[in-house]
Amino acid sequence: MNKIYRIALTLLAGLITTAPVMAADTIKVGVPLAMTGPYTDTGDNYWKGIKMAIDEINGSGGLLGKKLKTIRFDTMDFAPERVMQGADYLCGKQKVHSVHAGWAGWGQDVRAYGKYSAPFFADDGSQSAVDVFRLNPEKYSNIFQLTDVGINQAQSVFRVLMALPYEYPNKKAVIINADDAWGTEVGDTLKKKFKKNGWKVPMHETVPYGTREWGPLLTKIRRIKPAVLHLEIVSAQEVITFFRQFIKAPTRTIISYGYSLVPREVVETMGKQADGLIGEVPTAMPTPQAPTPQAQAWVDRFSKLYKHSPQAGSWAAYSGVNAWAAAVRAVGDETRHAEINAYIKEKGYKGETGWWKWDTDNVMRAGADVPIGHYQVQNGELVTIFTDPPTKPYKNNAFVVPRWIRKAGS
Amino acid sequence: MYLELIDVLISGLTNGSVYALMAAGLTLVYGVSKAFNFAYGSFFSLGGYIAWMLMAVFGTAKGYFFVFILSVPLLLLIGYGVERIIVSPLRKRQDWEVKVMMVTLGLALLLDNSFQVVFGARMKSLPPIMEGALTINDVIVSYQDMAIFILSIASILCFRWMLNNTRLGMAARAVAQNPAGAQIVGIPQNIIFASTFAVSTAMVGVGGILLSQKYFISPADGWDILVKAWVITAFGGMGSIRGSLYAAFILGMLEACVGWLFGMSWILVANFAVLVTTLAIRPQGLFGKWG
Amino acid sequence: MNWKNMAAIMAAIYGIMAMLPFFLGKTNFVMHILIMCLIWAVVASCWDLIMGFAGIFSFGQVAFFVIGAYASAIVSNTYHVSPAGAILLAGGFTAAVGILVGLPCLRLKGAYVALVTFAVHMTLEPLLKGDFGRAIGTGGSRGIMAIAPLKLFGVTFSSADPVPFFYLTLIFFIICTLIILFVIKSYWGTAFVALKDSENLAASLGISAFKYKLTVFALTSFITGLAGGFYCHYVGMLSHRLLGVDLFVTLMVMLAIGGIGHYPGAIIGAFITVTLNELLAPLGTYRPLIIGILIILLVLLFPDGIIGLVQKVFTSKADKATKPVY
Repeated sequence: MNKIYRIALTLLAGLITTAPVMAADTIKVGVPLAMTGPYTDTGDNYWKGIKMAIDEINGSGGLLGKKLKTIRFDTMDFAPERVMQGADYLCGKQKVHSVHAGWAGWGQDVRAYGKYSAPFFADDGSQSAVDVFRLNPEKYSNIFQLTDVGINQAQSVFRVLMALPYEYPNKKAVIINADDAWGTEVGDTLKKKFKKNGWKVPMHETVPYGTREWGPLLTKIRRIKPAVLHLEIVSAQEVITFFRQFIKAPTRTIISYGYSLVPREVVETMGKQADGLIGEVPTAMPTPQAPTPQAQAWVDRFSKLYKHSPQAGSWAAYSGVNAWAAAVRAVGDETRHAEINAYIKEKGYKGETGWWKWDTDNVMRAGADVPIGHYQVQNGELVTIFTDPPTKPYKNNAFVVPRWIRKAGS
Repeated sequence: MYLELIDVLISGLTNGSVYALMAAGLTLVYGVSKAFNFAYGSFFSLGGYIAWMLMAVFGTAKGYFFVFILSVPLLLLIGYGVERIIVSPLRKRQDWEVKVMMVTLGLALLLDNSFQVVFGARMKSLPPIMEGALTINDVIVSYQDMAIFILSIASILCFRWMLNNTRLGMAARAVAQNPAGAQIVGIPQNIIFASTFAVSTAMVGVGGILLSQKYFISPADGWDILVKAWVITAFGGMGSIRGSLYAAFILGMLEACVGWLFGMSWILVANFAVLVTTLAIRPQGLFGKWG
Repeated sequence: MNWKNMAAIMAAIYGIMAMLPFFLGKTNFVMHILIMCLIWAVVASCWDLIMGFAGIFSFGQVAFFVIGAYASAIVSNTYHVSPAGAILLAGGFTAAVGILVGLPCLRLKGAYVALVTFAVHMTLEPLLKGDFGRAIGTGGSRGIMAIAPLKLFGVTFSSADPVPFFYLTLIFFIICTLIILFVIKSYWGTAFVALKDSENLAASLGISAFKYKLTVFALTSFITGLAGGFYCHYVGMLSHRLLGVDLFVTLMVMLAIGGIGHYPGAIIGAFITVTLNELLAPLGTYRPLIIGILIILLVLLFPDGIIGLVQKVFTSKADKATKPVY
């Protein structure tokens, strides 16, 4: 027995000491993403988009004739120290020429990568990240946000809720959000919006991740009988268990899931059972029909490659890589970071659906060619019903009054 | 008002029945062998994943019968093996308690991350054991919740019967009460330790199957379960099956009430407040001995 | 292990650490890892003193670290105390919390102590994230985004320039580890060995288990709190994420590798674990998996960790050498 352990230990030591070898004539691209821990799934969505973009660039002869090479770093759960370590590793040690991070934190990423000059693309959607940026826009000029902040997303949710072709039976709203920075940002903004417009918010709950028994809360909800319920917990288990327990004795309530509608499991697990739920995705590629032929071609390529339709974040991360690549081509040298950053900020990037423009905070604000997409689950798949801002119905996809409201109403 | 109370009561009973099952296994191992198993939560997920794989083989509708028939022996075997291979070699050491904690911590890391490598980070779902719900006036109880309640109570009763009426159970109790005495009368301690470990693995694994058909399975779920089971076990008295039963239902009710009155984020705080108060008054927990 | 060997190993560690910046000082990434090695080595040493020597199954070490970090950050941000003063205050505050936790819990036994101290860990997160936390300035679930860097004698020590900070941390590390060494080798250490062997006998000899345990608990809480303060002013940001399973497990791994109760094994364990975590990071999910396997193998093969292994090698050689020939 002892011998077997010893052999295993030697093998393990051998595995650890084999170091990767770098090739010349490449451009290094840093990809810090959650590869372990609770955010592995979102990390995977970004990685799919980034990998697709990089493979496409390499497949068509590379960037400035050089191949792109990704260097990954596991950011785990975005602990500030971990994020800083990632920046020191990728930018300081590996000297990468751009960083594509997806969701990377709520300000710690801005500070960590702001120390360096390589363009950094994040999908934070967080006001506190923007607040950190504003402390020193000069220093943080290499930080680019691919999505609008949570406050604006929440306001967009409110506008679309009010624009739905549906008459609310009362003016009561219930808000439930997760106890993280994202959940509270959205929850608090929505609450303010509702109150300002003459609605009552008799219940606003902040719940921890891992909540799966909703009995006590549903009891209260069934008494309140709200016209709208917004749930903002970006984790599939929580939102699926909530819906399954709600639907046992539903009230006449529009259920809005916000960004929590995007974990792929929500529609994959519930299928047609989820019909009627609504939600939003910032920097969204509208589906099932894309807005332009190029966009449609992208959706088809993605679906063929990964055997499922694109998830939130994949397209944003894909576009981040291409925005950087376009700037590098224009500048003609991947090492002139300051010029590349200035180019991205001034010129923007023309993507599949149109122009991407970054504002003075280096945030890709929602609107124009890249609005926030609002979805409803219809026939077990996400269907874009509205885009916002400006608030307008998307193509001919109409909002369908959920079955639990129709049943209760008859 | 009274309707709300009934809802809270039902929610508390459902919570409690599952907690009881999870805590009973942990208390058994601790009571008999004084070993603290950090990988307990990982066996919970293991149960869920085994069920998921068996379900893929046997199809959905009548699959649960086969799932239980096959997974229980499998879990027993795994538990027995784990005890023999990684826990029992440490027993002869003076500081074996810490060493067992560490080795099981390593096992938990290994198992949780193997789940992620093999099954992916995405959660897996099992079909519900029973569909539909019982409706009496405005009170709704889903058959799924009833099935969980009945199956977990049945498992605990079956387990208690084994402990009190089989030779193995009596031997386990003897070892728990007096290890030296048990050895003198010729009870093979090693087999008892491994068997109790096996039974506890099976219990938490069955808990995993029961819960994952309601709440899904994902790789890192075990930690929540470990903490919960641990709190219940200490509250009821480490090593007391009866204590952990009471504790499970008390804490289940407490959770439902606190969630209803103060909000979900206070549940954890309330749990620990009750636990610490109890331990301050009764350091051995509610029923700190075998019974 | 005897006093001489321990001192020799520690002197060697200090010497090597002091030299490293001459070779690695140019790379911030490596310097950062070295600084974290020192900070975690202090925390792991405290934990080893509590669990390995005093025999208290405390699982509150990460919690005390976080309490110290938050206390220092809040004191320096809200009340504008200089960071150096804030770190000391944080140490004092953490020691006070340690005593408060220790009072009820040190009378309990084995796994119960683990549970109550872990309860402190678990309840800390909702407290820091919730309304109470926001009221005292924890920044809720976002955490604290800016913490002033440490200033001493007109020099600013920050993560931007890691070499000076490294030496400052090294001094802190040397002081703390020496204190721990003295505790282990003092009358206290002997008392703990006696208590572990037979609490009843030790009590009959006039050794009060409770008093000693409480003092050690307070001391290690104090040092851990200081380490937390150091950490937060170094990183310049703070969030409750430290309370996740990862850090807790990592610290436990340090003790497993170094050999619990085999001081200064914990220090070496901390260095190995931090380095290993970085080397394995590119492997993603396989990193914790490999570490899991490694712990199992290490605990089974070398239950006394690195120090135990070294001792074994040396003593077996010595045995062979001194074996009388008949």
